[in-house]
Amino acid sequence: MAVRTYSPPWRRALGYLALAAFALFFLGPFLIQLATSFKTDADAANNSLSLVPNPVTYGAWERIFGFTDAAGLPFGRWLTNSVIVATFITLGRVVLDSLCGYALARLRFPGRQAVFWSVLGVLAVPGAVLLIPRFLVLKELMLFNSYPGMILPIAADAAGIFIMRQFFLQIPPSMEEAARIDGAGVFRTYWSVILPLARPGLITLTILSFQGSWNEFQMFLVATSDPQYNTLTTGLAKFSSGQLGSGTQYPVTLGAALLSTIPVAIVFFTFQRHFIGGQLSSAVKG
Amino acid sequence: MTTSIGSEPGTGGQGALAGTVQATAAPPRRSAGSALRRQERWAGWLFVLPALAILGVFLVVPIGLAFWVSLTRWDGLSSPFGGGAEFVGLGNYRDLITVDSLTRQNFVTSVRNNFYFVLFTVPLQTALALSLAVLLNNRFLRGRSFFRTAFFFPSITSSIATTLVFLFLFSGGGAVNELLAFLGIDGPNWTADSRGVFHQLLRPFGVDGPPAWAQGQVVNLSWWDWLAGPSITLCVIIALVVWTTSGTFMLMFLAGLQNINEEVLEAAEVDGATGWQRFRLVTLPMLRPTLILVLTLGLISTWQVFDQIYLTGNNPATITPAYLSYSQSFQNSAFGVGAAIAFLLFALIIVLASVQRRLVGTGEED
Amino acid sequence: MIRRTRAPLAMLAGAALLLTAACGGSDSGFGDSDDGAAGGATTGVRLSVLIGSSGDAETKAVSDASTAWAGKGGNTVTVTPAKDLTQELTQALSGGTPPDVFYVDASRFAALVKGGALAAYGDDLPNKADFYPNLLESFTAEGKVYCAPKDFSTLALQINTDLWAKAGLTDKDIPTTWEQLETVATRLTTGGVTGLVVGDTLDRLGVFMRQAGGTLLNSDGTAFEADSPQNLAGLEYVQKLARKGVLKFPKQVDAGWGGEALGKGKAAMTIEGNWIVGGVKNDYPNLKYTVVPLPKGAQQATLSFTQCWGVAAKGENRAAAVDLVKYLTSTDQQLAFTEAFGVMPSVRSAAGQFATRFPDQKAFVDGAEYAYGPVSVPGFDQVQKDFDAKVRGLSDGSSQPRAMLEALQKNGTAALQAAN
Repeated sequence: MAVRTYSPPWRRALGYLALAAFALFFLGPFLIQLATSFKTDADAANNSLSLVPNPVTYGAWERIFGFTDAAGLPFGRWLTNSVIVATFITLGRVVLDSLCGYALARLRFPGRQAVFWSVLGVLAVPGAVLLIPRFLVLKELMLFNSYPGMILPIAADAAGIFIMRQFFLQIPPSMEEAARIDGAGVFRTYWSVILPLARPGLITLTILSFQGSWNEFQMFLVATSDPQYNTLTTGLAKFSSGQLGSGTQYPVTLGAALLSTIPVAIVFFTFQRHFIGGQLSSAVKG
Repeated sequence: MTTSIGSEPGTGGQGALAGTVQATAAPPRRSAGSALRRQERWAGWLFVLPALAILGVFLVVPIGLAFWVSLTRWDGLSSPFGGGAEFVGLGNYRDLITVDSLTRQNFVTSVRNNFYFVLFTVPLQTALALSLAVLLNNRFLRGRSFFRTAFFFPSITSSIATTLVFLFLFSGGGAVNELLAFLGIDGPNWTADSRGVFHQLLRPFGVDGPPAWAQGQVVNLSWWDWLAGPSITLCVIIALVVWTTSGTFMLMFLAGLQNINEEVLEAAEVDGATGWQRFRLVTLPMLRPTLILVLTLGLISTWQVFDQIYLTGNNPATITPAYLSYSQSFQNSAFGVGAAIAFLLFALIIVLASVQRRLVGTGEED
Repeated sequence: MIRRTRAPLAMLAGAALLLTAACGGSDSGFGDSDDGAAGGATTGVRLSVLIGSSGDAETKAVSDASTAWAGKGGNTVTVTPAKDLTQELTQALSGGTPPDVFYVDASRFAALVKGGALAAYGDDLPNKADFYPNLLESFTAEGKVYCAPKDFSTLALQINTDLWAKAGLTDKDIPTTWEQLETVATRLTTGGVTGLVVGDTLDRLGVFMRQAGGTLLNSDGTAFEADSPQNLAGLEYVQKLARKGVLKFPKQVDAGWGGEALGKGKAAMTIEGNWIVGGVKNDYPNLKYTVVPLPKGAQQATLSFTQCWGVAAKGENRAAAVDLVKYLTSTDQQLAFTEAFGVMPSVRSAAGQFATRFPDQKAFVDGAEYAYGPVSVPGFDQVQKDFDAKVRGLSDGSSQPRAMLEALQKNGTAALQAAN
């Protein structure tokens, strides 16, 4: 309880014990994942709980980084694709969502309410329903199996627009009014007054967009079939359930999965504060 | 366009399923002059147009295309627009709902699976998230941010990566079964066991197969199959989703807890309420808006589970409507059926969300 | 109307591998192809090949061969093993960007032709007469040979010889009947070892139904006969062994397929096709095993599988694609594939060499004599999947053979009606 400052020591100990157990529950799988990536296939299968690889082998990592010639794990290609796609999607969302969010928060134009309600309506569309529709439109626009086909459909998102609108609403109107009295137009006000003020919001949006597009799976699954466009998510998913004979190569799979987690983890630990704030403000996205 | 020129902007903004949208703040005063106002009118559209175009072309239009496809028997090989596919009207919907076929059996099975998935996942993730938040909501706790980070970390990793890890942990000779072996329990082959959990629980009582009353068929499945509970493989996915989502929901509960006035709690304590009573009678009612938000978000997202199912494989014990929509299209070349399933799922989610909203209110009264 | 490829490969056997040799002149009498002639350059192009690989061995062999071809003409070829060939191919085809060359399973051929996905280049093959006529027939529709048969395989019994000897068994104990199979499977089952591990799918267990004298589709392909007493006898035999615990399915022993179970020493015996040779050579080089014919039920029977090299009708580089296929199906190249991953060549001119070069694979070759092909009805995939999902329940009693076959009958009949 929030106000308990004088709990008996045994209760405090119990509380910490529970917290430690939960920490193990949430982090344990990652530790096992790390240890497994240094194990041999046999060791991984037989001593999967052990955190100490015996023997320690770098075989899985050598395969991930392409030092051995075994076929089927073009990790570098997947990584490159993930970087390309995530960069452009993030860029798109930051620019387009903030423009749209600002207009919805501050600019008076005919049809604004209609636009706002449309955006809210789009928010309510469940993502899983869009699998087939998105495939169809990419096919009709001849964008199937292309980078634009992977990027454009999610280069703006209703949740991001909504978050940005909320951020802009929090900025006191007096700031922009002052700029306008000085004779600045809408664009200059936006660029030199509003955007600097909305920096925390932009950082949050950048982080969320990066995380979202880095981890995106469904969109890329239906947007491509050619393996040259595999990202870390689609590549791993297709590799792991594998072909008949490749069986269960846990060390390689888990190592690659771990590596795909690292960029997001770095961003997470660097910008944790924004991350957590953003997670809350995007909670409405449903 | 419903907004007349010069009307006060920013009066909208209630709504969204979760109902936490804040009303708009006051607009800038109208002192900037009419030239500026005119500039705003076209600048506004200029600002929203790029984003709207993307949402329109890649979200609204596709839904229209998919609806058309759901009325055809398109095999995915020709072009579905312009005579390439046989028009069957509502035939695909009829096949899914009223015609006794393998297609309906798969659809019904997927809905059953997803129902059990929701039934277990939503309460578990909510309860776990709330417990974590309560544990953490102590200003004198040491290492608070470490714990918060630890609990939240699975939420930010990709669903593919976490699923792979769980499939490994729950493999036949995997870590979970090793742990169970310490306790003298011979764990099942989690990732390949399609038996229903409820059936398994009945086994020790000598119920090995369907009793006479449970053999009747209702919409392609016997009562026995309807009441099977989630399959053992689906339990792995339940555990996985609880593990990955609790962190996010915990943050929401933490935010909610921090809004609770401590004086009320202290007053309750002075009145002699025990810790549990304070939690049940003060904290919980005040968390009601957050609780409703978490339940609604949980309900909506669990009905859409896909990535995890994709990795577990095409197995009637785990298929969900979202996955079936995909596999009917891309595996069975029945895009019409696949699209129809997507629309039925859409309808189901909207109905459930509004039913829930009506049952518990929107939580906006606080 | 599309000709179904239901004809058993039985005839293929005798004609082919055993008599083999010089009868290269038989005219198959197919009409001239008009749309097989391909467009595009044959040099300096980039081809993509999508394969449903049996493992690293096959992927590597196909990659290497394609690279060798590419090097000759200044082309590049990317070979991709699909996770799920049907799914990835459907997506690519419907997305309008098909791979240039891809595996086509005999059971999927009809649907692909119907959708206009395949270029009919088969009649232009210079060595067309060298292919086994029955294999060509599997890939013939409307009088045109659409694609070149890649190879074929049959099922046989593989025995881990170390475990065999450890259980005190000798060559004399090699089972030739169901009773004997049950006896040795029981004897071989100890703590960590299961006597027989078989894939939990109709593509493997169907062999017992065939051996009991059953069939899924009647001989002229007009009706299903899945719920016959013979099929029931076959499936009940499987159930009996499964309930005794002497037969298990790969996932029950933490393996992805029979070859993995055998290689890891978790299974003493398994039933797989030729692909197991390459699969275990790559993953378990130290495994000692022998391949023997499947034991007899009411009759001797096995299942056969075949695929062809499909060329996309909409591909821009059809000329180069056909050229690649010609290279890949040449006698020498097929023998190289055989060496790498064990399938049997689809051309008669390689049969003699295959037989002399791989005496230890005689059982597969012999199997061709009494082998049956897969059911080729559009939409049967889904029906089979439904059946496969219930197989696992045979071991714990949650599935009953009779009910499984009744469902197979009902769903199969529905698929057949929908296809006509």
